[in-house]
Amino acid sequence: MSILQSRPELGPPQPYTFPKPRHLSVGGGNVIAIDVPGQQYAAVRLVQPTAGAANEPLDRMGVASLTGEVLEDGVHGNSSLAPALEQHGAEWVCRVTWDSFITGVDAPVTRISDAVALFAEAVRAPALRPEDIVRRREQLVERFWLDASVASTLAMRAVGGQLFTGRYGTPLNGGPVQLREVTPEDVAEFHARSMADVAGTLVVVGDLSDVDLEALGTAVFGDAAPAPAAQVTPPEPAAGELPRTVVLDRPGSVQSALILAHRAPSRPEIDLPKADGMSDVLGGMFTSRLNMELRERLGYTYGVGCRFDLRRDSGVFLISTQVEAATTAHSVTRMFAEIDRLRADGPTEGELEAVRESNTVGLPVTYSTARSLASALVETVVHDLPEDHVDRLRAGFERLTADDLTQAARNLLRPSESVVIVAGDAARVEEPLRETGVGPVTVRDPDSLWS
Amino acid sequence: MGTSFESGGQGVQSVVTNGAIGLISQYTLDNGLRLVTAPAATGQVAAVNLWYGVGSRHEVPGRTGFAHLFEHLMFQGSGGVAKGEHFDAIERLGGEINASTSTDRTNYFETVPEHALDLALWLEADRLATLREGMTQEVLDNQRDVVKNERRQRYDNVPYGTAFERILRLGYPEGHPYHHPTIGSMQDLDDADLDYVLSFHKKHYGPDNLVLTVVSNLDPDDVHERVKRYFGAIPARETVAEAPNAALEGLIGGPVRDTVVEQVPAPAVFMGYRVPAYGEREFDVMHLVSAILGYGQGSRLYQRLVVERGMANDDGGSAADVLPFRYTPSLMLVTMIAREGVSGDELETAIREEIAGLADGVTEDELDRARAILERDHLQTLSNPSGLADTIGSCTQLFDDPELASTWPQRWAAISTDDIVACAKRLLAEENLLVVRFDPQETGEGTVEPEPADA
Repeated sequence: MSILQSRPELGPPQPYTFPKPRHLSVGGGNVIAIDVPGQQYAAVRLVQPTAGAANEPLDRMGVASLTGEVLEDGVHGNSSLAPALEQHGAEWVCRVTWDSFITGVDAPVTRISDAVALFAEAVRAPALRPEDIVRRREQLVERFWLDASVASTLAMRAVGGQLFTGRYGTPLNGGPVQLREVTPEDVAEFHARSMADVAGTLVVVGDLSDVDLEALGTAVFGDAAPAPAAQVTPPEPAAGELPRTVVLDRPGSVQSALILAHRAPSRPEIDLPKADGMSDVLGGMFTSRLNMELRERLGYTYGVGCRFDLRRDSGVFLISTQVEAATTAHSVTRMFAEIDRLRADGPTEGELEAVRESNTVGLPVTYSTARSLASALVETVVHDLPEDHVDRLRAGFERLTADDLTQAARNLLRPSESVVIVAGDAARVEEPLRETGVGPVTVRDPDSLWS
Repeated sequence: MGTSFESGGQGVQSVVTNGAIGLISQYTLDNGLRLVTAPAATGQVAAVNLWYGVGSRHEVPGRTGFAHLFEHLMFQGSGGVAKGEHFDAIERLGGEINASTSTDRTNYFETVPEHALDLALWLEADRLATLREGMTQEVLDNQRDVVKNERRQRYDNVPYGTAFERILRLGYPEGHPYHHPTIGSMQDLDDADLDYVLSFHKKHYGPDNLVLTVVSNLDPDDVHERVKRYFGAIPARETVAEAPNAALEGLIGGPVRDTVVEQVPAPAVFMGYRVPAYGEREFDVMHLVSAILGYGQGSRLYQRLVVERGMANDDGGSAADVLPFRYTPSLMLVTMIAREGVSGDELETAIREEIAGLADGVTEDELDRARAILERDHLQTLSNPSGLADTIGSCTQLFDDPELASTWPQRWAAISTDDIVACAKRLLAEENLLVVRFDPQETGEGTVEPEPADA
């Protein structure tokens, strides 16, 4: 007699509907909130949709990221914000993206008023002392090089410059050389124009039974004006033959960080379930084709993945991995082969089913934390989506057909427009990469990329 | 599927209590499996978390890296599950799934929609009972390659990547089970053979060595019935595996140091002090000491060396921490990277001055801040189903007491500034110090490192 049961047949999943948010208009701003009874640790986020890095002037690249850092010096300077929040069991949150400037706190609901009061003054009236700004700026510049000494970070930071001209050609937090040019006055001007008096939208998620949302809104918005609409100016592509291969020389590297990237439609243009579903088949899950091939069959890597990086005005598709140096060229060949196979034959029935299920059945897991619920609301604000956006996405995934995914692969995967970026030992990988024939191969000194 | 040294289980915030705590239920099956349940803060999910009492401390010389390699093999198929099928089944449910190995335990976890709890339990039971039926030379060879690439990615191909194994070499004597890192050596990974894989499973993987935690809104008795159905007939191990002796007395016998000159972007200082084991009262004291010294932007090292003196790279306030080793003395670690124009010697001297200053006294405000930040981290962990399950699993596997998840902060509350100073004086001494120093290859003694910032 077996000691084990046979595999259980699961019943149907419980239907899931994204929680309906509460909306409040307070002064010049909006509050959007989700009540999660029993969730004692709240997530609070302020979205300022016009203060993202994409709108930075080219002579002030990195000013948004630097401002994000300097806000941590609080109203008294000298890194005073975090210790003040810690007294309430709260943690500062700041995320500068291309499309928005997001700040916030995670705090126990019992302390939410105190934490939000500290948060509000830190965002609206920070000290912005020149000495703090210069210190943070110099730290960021040095941190840039420390981070870039990691192969995967180096490769990722080179993507923008290979695909775009203009602001996207330089990393989000500014290149190390350009960042040095950003002055304390620039930071003060950016803050005054894009943050101090721009109300924005406040997102609150947690057990709200004893939370006064109107009071939180008043504390954060004060008499700030409504946020203006975000400007959209699609970027120009970078020059150069496509496809091509760029090696960022990292002598002695025992692995190569590999990225295959090309431009993609913008967030408003793309049909997300079709695009993400197709990307899931190729490399978005552990069981995706690229991971099964490069990791589980060949053992070349610890892991490989792909995704779309979508913005208001543009998009990027990229595959990224780190492979043993000797397998670099063959890994590139296999990536292109998997792209070609998906474009030619589309997904299997099993893959289609996996994509449909994983993006619908699992929603209760995806939204089991205050942070993830808050992130979903932030996304609806940044991209001006309807409040039932998550449910619409789910419906989109449920409707997916194999043909949808095949068409998405043919339209959205563009191997002939790709750039392959390799952070690795040029002496070992350059010749084999030439033999793979992905366009011309150039070798760059990483230090020269941002000068 | 990484190696880690996290152990969770530091206590619940005194500022507020999570609704889940206090509603923990415990069961022990006839085969020794310990089941703990707790409610989730959001509905329709089940977080399943397994803590097996096996880690790299069970490895012997020549067989390092094995507990972790084994963790990978647990995803490669068993009697009723094909290679890759475990991942596939959970991903199709949109679930979260992974595993990690540390010195003291191996952890497998998945969070699934509630209706899929039975499938998660069945998958876990199948690999516990029948992994040996699914194991082949081919999957061993493949996962050995994967793990070697994990080692390259985390250790060998990143600056300062070998710091941790150097620290362990200095902190624990040759032959001691904590002398080597969980990832193991390339040579030992190469030498791993199929017979040893099979014997490792038999030796360490039994229900009697497992704490299973389920966080969901299902009735605890219902969860108990389901766990009995899937795990109840799996026999306990015939013999309980003995761990190599990890006893260690006294201080490190320092200062001991390892100086590395290689291709790194800036000088870096790694310092370690031997402190009592996780669970001892003095571990808690040293945990607070480390937070006062180097955790958060209000900490001394951040305020003095990052903000005021501008000597160290801005790490956001993460310069000090204590490794939570349960079965041997732990290590308090201090790590900082030098700013442009600051030498490794200058940074090291400055850090040592700040450490020495702890013996002169700490303020109530500093201690309050340290408690607040540790409590905050803990509460954040408990606020999501998978973090709550992991914390309960930790407290149960390491201390046989799931309720510790809620009572731990009381341990911090009872510690005074006098306790802090007394422990700092005794344990943060030269005789108890290890130092691993990295200096960039190009620089000579005492010269300034030319950063490529303007290149």
